[in-house]
Amino acid sequence: MEITGKKKTPIGKIILWIALIFVAIIQIFPLIWLLDFSLASSNEMFTNGLLIIPEKIQWGNYVKAFVDGNFIHYLKNSLLINGLAVVLVVLISIMAAFACLRMHWKLNGLVKTLLLMGMMIPIHATLLPNYKIYSTLHMTDTIWALLIPYVAFSLPQGLFLMTSFMSAIPVELEEAAVMDGCGIYRIIFQIITPMLKASIATVSIMTFLNNWNEFMMASTYLSSPKWKTLPFSVLEFTGQYSSNYAVQFAVMALTAAPAVLIYIVLNKHITKGVAMGAVKG
Amino acid sequence: MKAKWWSVALTAAMVTGLMSGATIYASAEEPVTLKVFSNLPDRKNGQGLVEQMIIDEYMEENPNVTIEVEALDEEAYKTKFKAYAMEGMPDVVNIWGQPSFLDEVLEAGVLAELNEDDYADYKFIEGSLEGFKKDGKLYGLPRNTDVAVFYYNQKMFEDNGWSVPSTYDELLELGKTITEAGMTPVAMDGGDGWPMAVYLSDLLYKITGDYKETVANAVANGDFSDEAFAQATQLLKDAADAGLFQVGYDSQDYGTAMNLFTNGQAAMFYMGSWETSMALNEDIPEEIRTNIRVFTMPTVTDGAASATDIEAWNGGGYAVSASSEVKDEAIKFLNFMYQPDKLSKYGWENGVGMSAQDQTDYMTGEETELMKQIVEIVTNATSVSGTPVNDCGPSAFKTSIESEIQSVSNGTIDVDTFLGNIGTACK
Amino acid sequence: MKKMYSNKLVITSLVLPGLLLFVFAILAPICLSVYYSLTNYSGMGSWDMIGLENYKTLAHDEAFFTALRNSLFLAIGFICIQHPLAIIVAAILDKKGGRGESFFRCVYFIPNVISVAVIAYLWKFIYNPNFGLLNNILKLFGHKGNINWFSPQMAIWSVLVVLIWHGFGWGMLIYYSGIKNIDPTLYEAAAIDGANPRQTFLRVTLPLMKPVIQVNVTMAVISALKQMETVYLLTNGGPGNATQFTATYLYQQAFKAFKYGYGNAISVVFIIICLLATVVLNKIFEEREPKRRVQ
Repeated sequence: MEITGKKKTPIGKIILWIALIFVAIIQIFPLIWLLDFSLASSNEMFTNGLLIIPEKIQWGNYVKAFVDGNFIHYLKNSLLINGLAVVLVVLISIMAAFACLRMHWKLNGLVKTLLLMGMMIPIHATLLPNYKIYSTLHMTDTIWALLIPYVAFSLPQGLFLMTSFMSAIPVELEEAAVMDGCGIYRIIFQIITPMLKASIATVSIMTFLNNWNEFMMASTYLSSPKWKTLPFSVLEFTGQYSSNYAVQFAVMALTAAPAVLIYIVLNKHITKGVAMGAVKG
Repeated sequence: MKAKWWSVALTAAMVTGLMSGATIYASAEEPVTLKVFSNLPDRKNGQGLVEQMIIDEYMEENPNVTIEVEALDEEAYKTKFKAYAMEGMPDVVNIWGQPSFLDEVLEAGVLAELNEDDYADYKFIEGSLEGFKKDGKLYGLPRNTDVAVFYYNQKMFEDNGWSVPSTYDELLELGKTITEAGMTPVAMDGGDGWPMAVYLSDLLYKITGDYKETVANAVANGDFSDEAFAQATQLLKDAADAGLFQVGYDSQDYGTAMNLFTNGQAAMFYMGSWETSMALNEDIPEEIRTNIRVFTMPTVTDGAASATDIEAWNGGGYAVSASSEVKDEAIKFLNFMYQPDKLSKYGWENGVGMSAQDQTDYMTGEETELMKQIVEIVTNATSVSGTPVNDCGPSAFKTSIESEIQSVSNGTIDVDTFLGNIGTACK
Repeated sequence: MKKMYSNKLVITSLVLPGLLLFVFAILAPICLSVYYSLTNYSGMGSWDMIGLENYKTLAHDEAFFTALRNSLFLAIGFICIQHPLAIIVAAILDKKGGRGESFFRCVYFIPNVISVAVIAYLWKFIYNPNFGLLNNILKLFGHKGNINWFSPQMAIWSVLVVLIWHGFGWGMLIYYSGIKNIDPTLYEAAAIDGANPRQTFLRVTLPLMKPVIQVNVTMAVISALKQMETVYLLTNGGPGNATQFTATYLYQQAFKAFKYGYGNAISVVFIIICLLATVVLNKIFEEREPKRRVQ
């Protein structure tokens, strides 16, 4: 199809460029549309045009979204919960990977398979029983109700990537360390972990992206705003401001912003991380 | 076996809860936290505002009490309510005095019993407490008297020379005229299912003049073959086919439908009388909000009911959790809310429609036109329908009818399949 | 050395956190699910054991099969639309991107980092038949622009489009890095043999990408099965059951229709289907390419 464009002719090249730009527009235009209308007033939504120049730029929409959407609070929760989940996943997966890969014991294969099985189990299938478990243990409405499933369901992928990266590290290194009198824990955290930097980045990014989006569990397990995460500012807002579209748009834009900004700043690393995961995966 | 063990544990928990509640209440100055679970997420307008006003007032009068509100919109609320019912309910909750909601809830014993004598002076409208009772015991209090109405934009009607329809055929005719004029006739929240089910009930009432028994029998036997059901469903489908509702009504939610109307895109909006507060909502352009008026479902050909027999019921209300650790404080708050000069009066002043208590004392003559119209409709009513059909059965039935009604109105399934499916869901 | 590496205590301390998590967050809930699936528990109050009754009902539950069909539709949609598009765009980007390469990569990926809650609400507005972006675009081209994107026939396609749009960047990026990993000398060899770009793409790029494609196809099928959040917020399974998925359906049955036991039966079948799908896909790919293990 597009690829048929003759390599040397400029027309072919232009067509390919147009194709790339076209896809880029499709990917980005809805977001521009979102930004545009988030600065207008609600009644201006009902136009036939694609984009509008608001009669008066309504920064007030963002003020409302920021204040009434509990933006800072939810953002803090999201960052904290996701951050903790990332740290735990990385830590636990390195430990488990090392044990399954390098240590000598009979059940290593079985345990690894068991842990990796989590990858195929749909997280939402555990929604109902987990709710029962957490409420019996009085863990609903605590940070654990989110942290535990987030870590548990990101762990298999982390373990999978860690083992494949770790198997590329020569055993000789460890042997030398043992000669120097290092214990297992020191080997893992002082010798192996620093060599896994790239894969730690990969696992972190994947874990973060997986859990950043999650809200089904959050909305089922949490009740007070104490631990609610960023998606809630959108969910709650559409109820609170059901008659004010522009403010809804503002809150959506605001909610989307942190992740997009983080992505743009870390663009290179994320791309590399995902790419490494992809090749190994 | 297991279940029995459970219930013993639960009773034990309740007793301890009661006792600890009593201790806390005894030393009144100790800080108490009340959790209120509300289905009114908009705390700045209408009913949510009223609720919040009373909560703030209560906290001011009782400085040792902190009230935490968790508010979700109706669909999400009901889902979460059931999740809560499994273990530990917040202290004060919204409930619906309808079998679809209350039967299973009461069976599970998650709501605290209230003392009916306490409310002798609360001026509840006769019969309004009935839906909240089981075996003669009272478990909740109604908040509103709800009437199903068509809100319409009077100015738009006048400018275009349209008039309020007096028969269903005229309504459909009017719909065509409005569509030709390039506008949407009726904004319908079809995505949620229940407004259409109310619409269906409304028609059923106009056909039968009294559907309580017919519906109760149908639900009990899982058999909806009564001719009236097919007729009412067909009338709903006729409306959908004739384009009475906006394009894509069956997937649009409450807010979207309402906004079509409040932004002048739709000439009418089918909803409950609780939305009369639109007339005071400053987010709505003034030209529109001051011109909102209502009419009720017009009569149908050969129908048994007249224009003044209306689809109305006492639906939403409040209750206290049986397992609440601060039950006494919770009941105290509940009673505070229902003092006639609170919920009822504030509701009146904020134009949220009719409460379930006598509101004649608060009439000032300054009410919005819309309010006056609603009052007139209710006072002139020759009979009221009671609970809408979708709320007359178990929740499996409710879930089924609210989903299947989308399919039957958009033509995915035919009327007979629809009636068969909702019948199966009752079994 | 050997002794140190088989110290039971150390091993236990290393795998225990992971194992505990697995047991507590995955295994125990599944066991509990199996138990409740055998009851008529409504979600509160008491319950009775009813044996396999729930599973029998499930076997005749039309809505459940609609949900499975929808998952299948989604999987096919991903495999036949999203992935080919992603490979082609990745190939073009690799060849022609030039200086714009990182810019395009960045732009394509942005939707992926945005929370599903925002995506779903945003697309609700985009699809709105009365004032949405999509119909307004149609109006630009002289169409009447009153298409109901969530009509029973189109709703599932509309859902698919959102998911493709959201996940496109991810797929593209993975294929892109796959292509980047191909030894450039192979392209040179192809060029010397006089292959045109299309031939190079079909004969060099695609075959070498096979392992990446296989992994991605597996992922696509699994993610189609697991679909919940976007659909839940976008259409909530409606209109009727037109966009019902397994996860949304089990949620609806457990928390809305008061059939917690039945919801758990759906969960159990859901897990079995996901496991089966993975095993089957792995078998298919393994046979084609013996000896190649993913790790």
